[in-house]
Amino acid sequence: MSMEQKTETLEERIDLLRQREVQARQMGGEEKIARRDAAGLMNARTRIDALLDADSFSETGLLGVSTFSDADRKTTPGDGKVAGFGLVDGRMIGIVSNDFTVKGASSSLTNMKKIGHVKRTATDRGFPLVFLGESSGARMPDNMGAEGMGTMLGNDPHQYVRERETPWVSAILGQCFGSSAWYACLSDFVVMRKGAIMAVASPALASLAIGQKVEPEDLGGWKLHSEETGLIDRVAETDQEALSEIRRFLSYMPSHSGETPPEAEVPAGSDEAAEKILQILPDSRKRGYDVRKIIECIVDQGSFFEMKPRFGRPGVTGLARLEGQVVGIVANNPIVKAGALDVASCEKITRFLVMCDSFNIPIIMLVDTPGFVIGIEGERKKAPGKIMNFMVALQMCTVPKLSVIMRKSYGQAYLNMGGGRNSDSVAVWPTAEVSFMDPQYATDVVTWGKEASEEETSDIREEMERNSSYLGLAEIFAAQSVIAPQDTRRYLVGELNVQKLRRSNGIGRHRLANWPTTY
Amino acid sequence: MTTTNVTSEVIGSVWKVEMNVGDTVQTGDVIMILESMKMEIPVEAPTDGKIADILVKPEESVDEDQILCTIES
Repeated sequence: MSMEQKTETLEERIDLLRQREVQARQMGGEEKIARRDAAGLMNARTRIDALLDADSFSETGLLGVSTFSDADRKTTPGDGKVAGFGLVDGRMIGIVSNDFTVKGASSSLTNMKKIGHVKRTATDRGFPLVFLGESSGARMPDNMGAEGMGTMLGNDPHQYVRERETPWVSAILGQCFGSSAWYACLSDFVVMRKGAIMAVASPALASLAIGQKVEPEDLGGWKLHSEETGLIDRVAETDQEALSEIRRFLSYMPSHSGETPPEAEVPAGSDEAAEKILQILPDSRKRGYDVRKIIECIVDQGSFFEMKPRFGRPGVTGLARLEGQVVGIVANNPIVKAGALDVASCEKITRFLVMCDSFNIPIIMLVDTPGFVIGIEGERKKAPGKIMNFMVALQMCTVPKLSVIMRKSYGQAYLNMGGGRNSDSVAVWPTAEVSFMDPQYATDVVTWGKEASEEETSDIREEMERNSSYLGLAEIFAAQSVIAPQDTRRYLVGELNVQKLRRSNGIGRHRLANWPTTY
Repeated sequence: MTTTNVTSEVIGSVWKVEMNVGDTVQTGDVIMILESMKMEIPVEAPTDGKIADILVKPEESVDEDQILCTIES
């Protein structure tokens, strides 16, 4: 140590600290930040400011840098990931915001420790974790060779464990390869900005590996993930919009699995909207309608927040509030494939049930489905397995489950959508019809390969056409209530109160908490 | 003047066209009815305006996202 350092005054030391802080906040430098500004892209710090309540950010690891080499020490402010804690609507969250201007926010030793610290603190102290993704993957040469691998990776045996102690949220806001993609796939909610890419590896690396030109949007664009893979929940036009989607999602979630979601005020006009159902529900049983319009009539006005609206569309999933209380809605949408559930719908509903059950959110099922989609396409995608995942998830849920049979409920889908004892109570509308399958198909099945006369066939058909109306269900108490459509809101509010988990203060048993995040 | 494309939500066929080019529509009015999986699927006007063009005929097959008609407003 030199004599000069020894004689530094306290003031000089504080000045040096201030200089270091300013340098760290400059991220990858004015030029890179200006280029992003010009392209209309926010940076790691402006994103945090936009997400959090004003002046609430408490940063951790501001002076962290890469110590891989002396050169790196000077060129890696914050080591490419800005981390810390702050408030969203007055509630604490942990946040990791990737700074692409510093070595592409690649993963290295110091920044992985920063992530680990925020993650551990959020989990242990019970608050949500938000990842703002934009990263290039593992840093090189740091991760290369046996020493790189042995030093950098795999030293945290809980790094990818998801036990849903607290909600996790991710935004895909640029190129997301490596850790940004992994954490997104482990999250309860993922929003993606149009133009961003999420994939295992970059298009350039993929092109090198398979010797074929790969377009970024084909490899991991918003259309692919919102419509085909279902790995994201919502699409946003801008960073700003993506960040406000995160705030909205968090407003439905408890801080941790040991509490119930926050209640909100009931917007004016919520009770009046229930009457409009009659204008939306068609007279003809053959006429389709968009079930989302029915949902909007039932829940608190403006509270329906749909998850994965472009994926598995015969099934609709979303968070909403009923008389201020958060609920998870699972519905069939007769306007798409007549509401027949396909493989994607099963995956989407399973994931949604797991999330709701893990965070003490009661489930409301609105049923109008002719059954599961049958045929070769579904079987090739493991339809029976997907239907059973969905079924097991529903049966293992311990939050209150209410189901309302609006119109059709057929076959196995009757069970998957909460029929029988698969929900805590079943209500039916006078338009409900329940059976195993269409009577004509049933007649064909039992007369298959047999020489049956016309008379015999007609007798069998008559037998198959047994009472499938709501009265049949009500008479044998397979439905606990019969309600007019416009009374659904009032009924659900009352029944939620009946089914409240009083003995555990609203907390479920979370038997699905360690289920996967992708199906 | 803006033109809005009205697209099909589903794969199916056109059953009935209930409006003509030049008709005035309000948001939510049924323009045509498609048939898909034995269900009637109404196609509603997403905006107020005037029907500028109808691009399909009854019994014609339609794909998801196919433009069925346009509205000028």
